[in-house]
Amino acid sequence: MNHTSDSTAADNGGTFDPQQAATLLGQTTGQARRKFQPSPPWLLATRGIAVLAALGAIWLTVRGQHPYRGPTAADVPVLIGFIVLNFAATVAVRERAMAGVSGRSRFSQGEIAVLAASWVAAAVLIAALAAAKVSYAHYPTTVLIIPGLAWAAVEAVRAEWRECVIGLAVTAVGVAGLFAGSAGSWLVAGVGLCVVLVGHAAVTAWRPRA
Amino acid sequence: MNDDGLDPLIHVPTRLKIVATLAALPDGDTLSFTRLQDMIGLTPGNLIIHLRKLEDADYLTSEKTKNGTVSITTVALTGQGRAALDAYTKALRDLLGGL
Repeated sequence: MNHTSDSTAADNGGTFDPQQAATLLGQTTGQARRKFQPSPPWLLATRGIAVLAALGAIWLTVRGQHPYRGPTAADVPVLIGFIVLNFAATVAVRERAMAGVSGRSRFSQGEIAVLAASWVAAAVLIAALAAAKVSYAHYPTTVLIIPGLAWAAVEAVRAEWRECVIGLAVTAVGVAGLFAGSAGSWLVAGVGLCVVLVGHAAVTAWRPRA
Repeated sequence: MNDDGLDPLIHVPTRLKIVATLAALPDGDTLSFTRLQDMIGLTPGNLIIHLRKLEDADYLTSEKTKNGTVSITTVALTGQGRAALDAYTKALRDLLGGL
């Protein structure tokens, strides 16, 4: 593309008709929205399917346990690997989308601190429940409640209502798991998070962020 | 304004791409010159010429900050620029009978 002649011709009233302008406007807007999208639909959908597969596989191994003993020694490294990979992919894609962008799209240090503190609080809660021998300590859904609420609160302050609903939905999955029993909570976590993530992907694809 | 109601400052392929790209960011966000250049695919000199025209019309603002020995230029669409793109889009819709 010869930009110099292009701009000169158009600046001088060249052949840039409204139909071409409309096509270019639509293409550029669509491409820019995709490139600035911190959580693209393909990533959300992939995470949704992966979380269903990972947690569903664990549910298959624990559902027949009487009494409940939790995931096997072979499941734990796979689960940790999945969490690390998921986190790394999410951060990498977000950083790529946000490269060169500054302003309210980026989380502030305070918001990052709140989100990090919510995971620490979740770990403390689990440890406290385990110390008190409360069975909820062994439910994978329990860990979702505080970070889900924190995400919802942070996004509500930012007036990002779609993300706020996602946080509340994750919290709802966490609460629903409390009623599913030790083994059943793995299935609730897998199916619930899959529905949330795939739903988020569908909404994002249908109506990208402004 | 052209006879067809299209803002001549925006009705240029390169500037339309610049404005549409910046408008894809939420209000108040800024974009680095290098990322914008990468997304639009222009030489720095050519991009500067178009940015200056848009800045002269108050459609965008640019800010240069120094981080040690590195200077970073960021650009952002102003409210006036966003309104101009909205008006341009409406004019296109009217001309074409709906996009």
